[in-house]
Order: sequence, then structure tokens, then C-alpha cells
Amino acid sequence: MTKTLFEKSQTDQHAYSLPKDENVFKAFLPPEHLLRQTPAQLPEISEIDLTRHFSELAKKNMGIDTHFYPLGSCTMKLNPRVNELCASFSGFTRTHPLAPEESIQGNLQIISELISFLCQLCGMTAGSLLPNAGAQGEYVGVRMIAEYHKHRGDHGRNEILIPDSAHGTNPATAGLAGFKVVPVRTNSEGDIDLEDLRRLSSERTAGLMLTNPNTLGLFSSVITEIADIVHNAGGLLYYDGANLNAIMNIAKPGAMGFDVMHLNLHKTFSTPHGGGGPGSGPVFCNDKLKDFLPLPKVIKQNNVYTLVWKDAKSMGKIASFHGNFAIYLRAYLYVKLHGNYGLRKISEQAVVSANYLKKRLGKLFTIPFPQYCMHEFVVQADNYLNQGIKASDIAKRLLDYGIHAPTIYFPLIIKECMLIEPTESESKATLDRFVSVLEKIVAEILETPEIVKNAPHTLSVRRLDEVRAAKNPILKRVST
Amino acid sequence: MWLIECSLGHRNTVGKGSMDFISNSEKQKNEMLAEIGVKSVEELFCSIPKKMLLPPISNDDGLSEYEGIKLMEALANKNTFSHFDNYLGAGAYEHHVPALVSAITSKSEFLTAYTPYQPEASQGMLQIIFEFQSAICALTGLDVSNASLYDGASACAEGLLMALRSQKPRQKVLIADSVHPHYSEVIKQYLSHPEITVEYIPFLSDGTMDLNHFGKMLDDNVAAVLIQYPNFFGGIEKIQQICKMVKNAGALTVLCANPLVYGLYQSASELGADIAVGDSQPFGLPLQFGGPYVGYIACRQELVRQLPGRIVGETVDTLGNRGYVLTLQAREQHIRREKATSNICTNQALAALASLVGILWYGKKGIQKLALTNYQRAAYLKDKLKSICQPTPFDAIPFFNEIIVKFKKPSVIVQKHFRQQGIEPGVSLERFYPHLKDYFLIAVTETKSLEQLDKYVETARSLEKCEDQ
Repeated sequence: MTKTLFEKSQTDQHAYSLPKDENVFKAFLPPEHLLRQTPAQLPEISEIDLTRHFSELAKKNMGIDTHFYPLGSCTMKLNPRVNELCASFSGFTRTHPLAPEESIQGNLQIISELISFLCQLCGMTAGSLLPNAGAQGEYVGVRMIAEYHKHRGDHGRNEILIPDSAHGTNPATAGLAGFKVVPVRTNSEGDIDLEDLRRLSSERTAGLMLTNPNTLGLFSSVITEIADIVHNAGGLLYYDGANLNAIMNIAKPGAMGFDVMHLNLHKTFSTPHGGGGPGSGPVFCNDKLKDFLPLPKVIKQNNVYTLVWKDAKSMGKIASFHGNFAIYLRAYLYVKLHGNYGLRKISEQAVVSANYLKKRLGKLFTIPFPQYCMHEFVVQADNYLNQGIKASDIAKRLLDYGIHAPTIYFPLIIKECMLIEPTESESKATLDRFVSVLEKIVAEILETPEIVKNAPHTLSVRRLDEVRAAKNPILKRVST
Repeated sequence: MWLIECSLGHRNTVGKGSMDFISNSEKQKNEMLAEIGVKSVEELFCSIPKKMLLPPISNDDGLSEYEGIKLMEALANKNTFSHFDNYLGAGAYEHHVPALVSAITSKSEFLTAYTPYQPEASQGMLQIIFEFQSAICALTGLDVSNASLYDGASACAEGLLMALRSQKPRQKVLIADSVHPHYSEVIKQYLSHPEITVEYIPFLSDGTMDLNHFGKMLDDNVAAVLIQYPNFFGGIEKIQQICKMVKNAGALTVLCANPLVYGLYQSASELGADIAVGDSQPFGLPLQFGGPYVGYIACRQELVRQLPGRIVGETVDTLGNRGYVLTLQAREQHIRREKATSNICTNQALAALASLVGILWYGKKGIQKLALTNYQRAAYLKDKLKSICQPTPFDAIPFFNEIIVKFKKPSVIVQKHFRQQGIEPGVSLERFYPHLKDYFLIAVTETKSLEQLDKYVETARSLEKCEDQ
């Protein structure tokens, strides 16, 4: 166990230094009646102890740099260090978000060019980099759909259709935006049930939110029919770009019939995941919706970039300033390094690697959808329930072998689900090792299931009691 | 011989310039295709309708790493702003970022991990979030905090949304007009629900809330009131009094604060606020054109189940050892779907780590000294400018590290003159409030030396010689 820093406090230890306290400053004293009565109970720690604390914590964490991390729908690919280097240039880090336009032409050029590049990649005509993560991008997109119908005087559309295989953020977003969520069934082939979609599409439909390839890793072969059904009912199509890694320069969401979409730059474009953010969830759309994009917008005239802060038709602001600039500038460099050529190669390899793994794992687990997958796939780990072993047990045992677990129990519609996404970064040797580790675990299940049931055994903690944490929440430490 | 083979024998692969970070060679790819049982990658795309399938690309249009760095250097150099003495604030502050911050945030295990879905493999990040929550509680004085939100604006919106849930069936929120105008606009976006009413509380000529008017607005449909500390004009409102009025009306106070203010002035808890929100950028995060920053939210214990987003809790493992997990997940989108307390999933974890390191590097005493240093330098500049600038109603209001000044020349002239001296003089308030023509909001932090402040004063003094046109 590593004590928290709040328990490591030692009186008068410190790491900080401050600029010289000139005598002329000392004369100014703040009004007494406003002063804090009890100082903030923060610890007092030296720099060496601070450093060691975080070094110790780092050892208790898996990252892509240290472990294979096939977490489905999260696209855990290599994070090139050149991104980190360039994001730290003082020309970027020292720019204030309200600085005069003539002094931030580099930043504005990055925004403008990245929007153009990603628009072309997605088959859209306009976009905004403002949303801070995928879920906020979804919110912007859904609000734009609402604005679109409102401007047409089409006021009865209060429903958003969402497949039952969708990420939880889709229904949560639609709910937050004031829509009624209407779930659409997935059929036995893992695709949207067209009959169900026809039945549910109506004059109340504002739009459909769809991930394609979907969260089962399958590309919908009836995407054209889906788009027609929703469009004919007067609704719009929203594309959740969480899975774009499968289709870069292979197929464009715009050509599939989508009207508005977001991307997760921290997934497909490898700005780091950072232990859970910051992400970046830019939004792109076609001509129907472009007037409603959020503010500020960047425009280019005579080779000079300017910011537009006011626009009557726009949905308005969504972030404090310009969104997660230092994140999307990494995506800018990533697409420049790859070019369209490299991005297509990424998607091709991601799909080959996923299908290879799927083929090999078919000998160990149930494969609910036998057709070729895209960049990820689901296995149903229900073969060993008789031995008392669930997907979560296999996931925990993988950790002992130095492999981060796949996404488990998502999508919710598959029993004992494991969603596996190897990404293009991993070599065949790594994938082969993953298969052989799973073979070993299956052997363990048959011979000594207790080892698997009680895993992990080799990490800093054993299996943790989540029920206890929720029952009596302890959410902080106070400095002692 | 080997070299020749590299340059001739493998021309297809070795001569390639751009990057793709793919570790498999053609040979390995073909082995994988053979195992799958297909001859080409294209066969794997058979579910994609033919009419939307794009042809392969033959022209390699990517860059090498060296070329990429040169490109980014050139773009960074186009940003001349980094050479100015910067006095812009208004929600984004130039502070010293301790060198330790990037040393910690660049650690592979944090930088390249994702949301701690497997707690046993993520104890490092989980404990960091737990410590971030503890630090936010210490600063605000409130009981519980979440793992972070996107930024100050979204934190305000989420704070109001949680207050609305908690105070049902009340459906109105009041927002002080002295809250950051960007934040107000984002809040409007999040509260665009047809049943919710948003009203704005006007401010007096000194920028503080019109309390008489406010009293009349506080009816029994008001769920929450949002105020800012210091307000957008850098002034300290009569917050204790406002919190009392709100409490008596049966509503909740959401207090948006620059967290550095808590090093000097009363905590959210001492002031009587129910929910504390804001942006923790001043600790550990550079300006970087507005993001990533890190929104925080803390509240009183009884509101904990209304908090949005991730929360980390302490627990034990099967051997009784202390450990950490994501907890109270029944509030969240992956479980509750459309009934979740928020749609947030990915938050600002690494920025929260940066901020945590920033807070702890200063520590208990350092934060008090840092806050006082900020106040004193702002007070010095305000005092020196008094005789040069026009008197305004803002002068009498207590402040922290931002001050309001009205120069004796039009703002366009002021900006031009200061910029010629290599100074960005402050935020011109006219862009936000047209009636505050020629007013500037000036942020002064520990990064401004006596020499720089005196240069500011001299530049202001020499404005007199500037022609009006």
C-alpha cells in the first residue's frame, strides 16, 4: 500500500519556491474580513518525496507503453512521443485564449487546416474542434439536430433512435439534450433490425445515433437502407466516430448518409488517453447543419486567419475557450505524419489484426458473429460458466500475465462479453502471445479454476471490493 | 553488403519516408491474411457497400518525424504572442508551472493508460484521482469532489444541473451577470431543456450583484443561484450574505471560483456555498490557448449522489489491503444510460494530475504565500495606476489578482501603444459589455516582476503623449 500524500505530510516540508518578495509589495494587505479562517488542509511535502510518491504510483498502473492493452472501443494504439514534444513548444503553451488574432496565427492555422483535413477524411463539409471529449461532441451534434428542426418549424420531433448496442454516452447525451430515447433492436446478425427501425421511425424522429462499424465491430451492410428509412421519416443521421480507426480512407461517413458526427481524437488520432482524458471530440457535418456549428469559428481570408465570436444562427458556445487545443494539435501532427496514405494503412492493418485474432480465438470461445469483423470483435466467454468462470475472471487473470484486459460486459446485449481491439500498433508476435496466454488460462480453468477465480495474484492489490466502496463511500483523505 | 541490401533489396519498405507506427511487415501481414483465409485486405471489407468503398492510395503523402517537428516549430513561431508581457486573465491565468508537473504527467503509465476500468491494474491513477478529490475538498472546504470535469464552463453547467435534480420540482436558476460571459453562454447550452428557466441577476456600476433586485428574483421556483468568486471583474461579492439569502429561499448556491483564491480568502464552506465549481488551470496547467484545463466540482455530503462523472472511492481487497475503485457508478452513463446524472465519460484525468502536482508542490503554506503574492502584485499595480487612470466605481471593491482600469485614451490606442512596448495590457471589456467602453481587466500573477510592473506603469503614463487618432 502507498499512503496518500495527505498521510505523508511533515510540518514545514515544502517543494515550492516563489519570486523575491519586494518590500514595496509587502505594504499591501488584503482586507481582514475576507481572509480564510482555517487554512486549506493540504499536505507539506518535499520535492523528493513528491517525486517518489508518483514514481511509486506509476508502478501500480498499466499503460500502452508498458503493456498490451486490447481494450475494445478505446483504440489503445501507440502514442508517439513526438506529439508530446511539439505540444510543449512555448509558442503554443504561452498563448492566451483571448490573445489578439494577429499574434496567434499559428494556432488558428492548425485549427483551420485540421478541420479541413478531417472533413475530407469523413466526407463532411464543415466542423468544429471545440468539444472537449466524445460525449461533449455528441451533445453538440444532437443540439445541432435540434436546432435544424427548430429552424424549419418542425417542432414535433422529440425522439432520438439509438441501437441497443450503443455506448452509454449516446442515450445519456440525447436525454441531456431533452430528447426521448427510443432503443432500436439489434438482430441476430449483429446489425440493426430494419423492421424495428421502420416501425419506430416517424414524424417524432429527430434523428438516429449510430456507430458504424458498431460496438460489435461489424460494419452495417444495410447502412444505405438505414439512412433512407431515417431520412424518409424526416430525421437526421448522427455518426458516433468512436470506431473510425477501421475505415480511414476506406469509406466515409458522409457517403454512408450521415449528416453530423464526432470523432474521438484520443482514440483514432492517438492523442494520449491520459488515464481518462483530456480527450477531444470534434464535430463535423454536411451543408444542412453547418450554420449551427458552435462558436468561435475560424475563417481564412487573404491568408489571414480570424475568429468569429458572434453568429445568430450558431448554437453558441460549448467550451470555456477553444476546447482542448493542446490535444487536437497533437492530432494535427499525427495526420501530417501519416498523410492519407498512412491513415489508410492504419485502418487496413487494424482490420487484419482484429480478424486474425478473432480467427485464432474462435478455438477457445464462442464467437457470436462469424462474419469478418472490422477493427474489433466480441467473443462470448460463456464456455466455462460450468467451472464457475466468468468473463471478468478471465479478464483479471490476463492482468497476471502482463496483459491489460479487453473491455468486458459491453456491449450489454452479449452474454459474458469481451470486446477486443488489438489496433494496428501491435505486432503479430504480441497477438500470438495474447492467444497463447488465453490458451494457458483456459487450461487453468479446466485444471485449477481457483487460480483464475481469485486472480489477480501478482499486482499491487488483489481483487477489490466494489460493493463496499459504494455502500460506505470514502471519497477523500484529510491531511494528518 | 548489408547496407546495399537495405537500399536496393528492400526498396519498397526501407525507402519510405512517412510514419505509420505499424509494427508488422508485409510478410507478417500476409501470414495473418493466410490464417484468416483471405488473399487480400479488400476481402475483409466485403460488408461495406461497393459504391462507398474507396480505392487504395499509392502516393505516400506523410512526413518523417524530423519534417513533422520542423512544421510544428514553424507554426509555433507564427504565434508572436509568446514574446509579450501578458496581462490577460479572465478565466485563463499565466502562472509558473513547476518543472515537476511535466516530469510526472509524462510518465508512460499515466500518459498512456485509459479510464481505470480494471482497478487492480490501475491503482496508480485511481489513487491520483482520490488525492485530487482530497485536494479539491481541502481547498474548497467542502465534503466530496468528483474526478474532474472538462473546464470551468462545463463545471458551472454541471453544478447547476445537479442542483436542479436535488431541488426538484423547482425549475429555475439565477445566474449573476457578473459570471464569466463565456461560462454563461455554455450554461445556457446545457440548460436548454424546455422546462428549465434561466434568469440573470444584474450588477451595479461597481460590478457587484444588485442585492435588492436579487431579493425580488428569489422565488420558490428557484433551485440554484450561480455566482463567481472573484467575479468576472475581479471583485469580491458579498457572498456570505448572498448564500444566506439563497438558503432562506430554499435554494442552493453554486460558487464558481478561481481555486487560487482559496489560498487567501474564505473557503466555499466558510462562505456557506453548497456546491463549489471552477477551473483548476491556475495550478499546474499552462495557458495553451485555453485547453486542456480542468473543471472541478465539490459539494456537501448530502448531495453526493447527484454528482456527475467519475468518482473514486477507497475500499479493500480480499486480503484486507487498502485499494481504490471507481464508485457510485449507478449515477453514470454506462449503467443508467438516458437517466444518468451526466453524459460525461472521458474527463480530464491527466490535467487533473497536472493540477494535483501543482497544488502539492505549493502545499499548505506555499498556496497561502502564492495567493498573497498574487494579491500584493495586483494591489501594487492598481495603486500605481490610480493617479494615471480615470477613477471608476470598480475602485472601491475588494479584489484578488485581477483589477479594472479605465485609461484616459480609447482602448484601441491603449492596445496599440502597449503592444509597441511588448505588453498585452489586459482584456478590453467592451467585447463582453459594450457599455464598459475603454475599461480593461488586468490580471497580475507571481510571474510579473517589480521591473515589469513598473514598465507597465511607465507605459501607461506615456499614453498621454499618444494622439487620439
